[in-house]
Amino acid sequence: MEQFHIKELSNGLTLLGLRMDHVSSAAMTLVVPAGASRDPEGSEGAAAVACEWLFRGAGGRDTRQFNDALDCLGCQHSETVNGEHLHFSTVQIGRNLGEVLRIYADVLRRPALQEATFGPCKGLTLQDLASLDDEPAHKCNVMLREKFYPHPLGRCVYGQAESLRAMGPGAVRGHLRRCFGPWEAILAVAGNIDWSAVCDLAEGLLGDWSADPSPRPGTRGPPGGVTHVRKESAQAHIALAHRSVPVHDERYYAALVVETVLSGGMGGRLYTEVREKRGLAYHVATRYHSLRDHAGLFTYAGTRPDQAQQTFDVTVHELRRLGEGVAEDELARARTQLKSAIVMQGESTLSRSSSLASDWYHLRRLRSLKELSDAIDKVAADDVMDYLRAFPAEDFTVLIIGPQPLDVGAIAEQ
Amino acid sequence: MEFKHTQLSNGLTVIAEANPAAATIAAGFFVRTGSRDETGDISGVTHFLEHMAFKGTDRRSVFDVNREFDEMGAHYNASTSEENTIFYASTLPEFQTRLLDLLCDILRPALRQEDFDVEKNIILDEIAMSEDQPKFQVYHKLMSAYFGAHPLGNPILGTQESIRALRREQMQEYFERRYSPLNVTVVGVGKLDWNAFVDKVERMCSHWRPSPAVRQTPRADPSRGEKIIADPKLARQQIGLMSPAPSCQDPRRYAAQLLATIVGDSTGSRLFYALVDPAIADEADMAYFPMDGEGAFVTFLSADADRAGEALRITRAELRKFLDGGFRDAELLAAKNKIASGATVKGELPMGRLAAVGFDWVYRHEYVPLAEQIDTLFAVTGDQVMDVARACDLTAPAVLALGPRETL
Repeated sequence: MEQFHIKELSNGLTLLGLRMDHVSSAAMTLVVPAGASRDPEGSEGAAAVACEWLFRGAGGRDTRQFNDALDCLGCQHSETVNGEHLHFSTVQIGRNLGEVLRIYADVLRRPALQEATFGPCKGLTLQDLASLDDEPAHKCNVMLREKFYPHPLGRCVYGQAESLRAMGPGAVRGHLRRCFGPWEAILAVAGNIDWSAVCDLAEGLLGDWSADPSPRPGTRGPPGGVTHVRKESAQAHIALAHRSVPVHDERYYAALVVETVLSGGMGGRLYTEVREKRGLAYHVATRYHSLRDHAGLFTYAGTRPDQAQQTFDVTVHELRRLGEGVAEDELARARTQLKSAIVMQGESTLSRSSSLASDWYHLRRLRSLKELSDAIDKVAADDVMDYLRAFPAEDFTVLIIGPQPLDVGAIAEQ
Repeated sequence: MEFKHTQLSNGLTVIAEANPAAATIAAGFFVRTGSRDETGDISGVTHFLEHMAFKGTDRRSVFDVNREFDEMGAHYNASTSEENTIFYASTLPEFQTRLLDLLCDILRPALRQEDFDVEKNIILDEIAMSEDQPKFQVYHKLMSAYFGAHPLGNPILGTQESIRALRREQMQEYFERRYSPLNVTVVGVGKLDWNAFVDKVERMCSHWRPSPAVRQTPRADPSRGEKIIADPKLARQQIGLMSPAPSCQDPRRYAAQLLATIVGDSTGSRLFYALVDPAIADEADMAYFPMDGEGAFVTFLSADADRAGEALRITRAELRKFLDGGFRDAELLAAKNKIASGATVKGELPMGRLAAVGFDWVYRHEYVPLAEQIDTLFAVTGDQVMDVARACDLTAPAVLALGPRETL
């Protein structure tokens, strides 16, 4: 049985830990609720620029010294921004975790944020935004989230060209001052760790980090609807989303089963009907995605334009047909797939540290691999039907990028 | 960790790295065949055949194959490169025999005409998908420009024309030649029962008929030219650079990997500071691609169209500076730490270890424990890295640019 460690500090930061045997690595996930949904109006993209800027030197080290320090520790790291969080993760040999944590404490509390490095950080974000135009599959899914989630929760993290061009260092410093603090921040470690040592170190480094809690952004919308973006692309890119339950809902596991029945493996319904039987699309899949209070099933298919209409119609038909119920053997397969994926995630330190942080954010508690596996086992056919009645495949938000618009009559039928 | 090895009477090799502490098992079939083993009239057949393996056997329909993988909760896929086709899966140890039953079976696909016709359409769609991915396009156009008529320049997916023209009988003939047991290595990693593993493979595969699956390995005569492909539909400029490097069989491959990391790792490298840190390019990575008897250093740049020429000039200057001025000890140590840490973390998962164990055998007929590989890496000297830099002449790469610009 997994032994979790939890320590909530008075400044709002939560420390989480899990020791794993038979591994030499230790992973760290750090999330701070300063994501793109908190970008000020007119400064969209501020969180993404901040994510770059925070890693241009900290704690008296310049950019080069900072990178050298992490490299010498064999630290593999990534920094991303999503709607809700700035999300930092690292993985290294267990004995180097402490030193890496010291460097990250500098990022949190003593980032250099020098004027000279601001321009390039903004420049890289502008390039990320421009790259979307050359990657229609990616752009299609980014735009779908914008339309599907209440504004500004699904906002494109790279902002807009105008907001970025107008942005000065003050706007990004302001964003960090407002929401880059310990309040609701989470630091999770998993793998070859000594919890009491990590915990003492983290408390020493971050216990007196303080900032006022910032309110969650107000929301409006979502815009929804059907959007076609004309582009002379080789494929038509079709994406559609409909509502699901967030992670904290008791029907969450039924939603995972539904996602798996649709496209858990190559035997999933979408793959079978769209790809194997009809040869319509190389890639077709449904993915569950959840914010704290909103969630959806996101379906994507890319296909040649002359097959786009049929692909759309067959895909929608399959999403709808699920409402007629799930066969017992499909349910059993979905359970096995989900449980096996849980075991595989349990072998990876990075996957575990990321799950700890995610559990705490969504549930304010931690789930063991056994709890997850048992919960999957308990999902019965009736639970799936109850879920599908409450969240039928309707009210789709649709985003299409390609040479021609599609007849979306299929989603209007009841 | 314990290494196991055997060879069946028909020549099929079976190897494993058994790790009783793992929670899962990973298995792979490594077929030593890729687009370099094709001729022009069957361009794309290797990749198409990889798809067809999942379309069923004499005992199983396509729906059976997919359903059975899912029933084991397996994570599974296949991939085709210039040199290898691999089929792999990971699952819980209790499914070991069932997983092997399925993997062994799909390595002898039925190649039914009706499945062939449906899948042909999927391959055409996959080619269309790749046309909407500029980075993929640059890689393949660069390989083609660099290797020219050498078989490593062949496109993995084939072309719309070659796939449309391909007949089932041609695929069957290719299959008979290339999927010989002499050309396949079965690899197991993780929590496995070796005796049961071999026993199952033997029962499933001992009837496979051997035939010599010879690979032509002419020496490449790489192009050093510069080619610009203008596409006004694109927003940004992608640039690829390619120059020779040690092959898979060359002991200098560790030094080559360190060289690529020092020059072009995605963070903290020479190109990072020269191009990404100042935002002249948003990507500037150098990778080392070891191949069968050949090797290449490949650098990718992605930049705004009006700064692409500058990005290319800076890259050339950095390569020259590296060759003339060498590097600091600290840079070498950082590169070693990064590579060792990456291999260690990956090696903690059976699926992460599978490719390393498999390719060590396919290319060099050797098994080297990860710890020993890391020792070898740390023993590489700065002089050895510079020897590679000089021998490979980094400063005269082939260049291919794709984007809105007609000149750089």
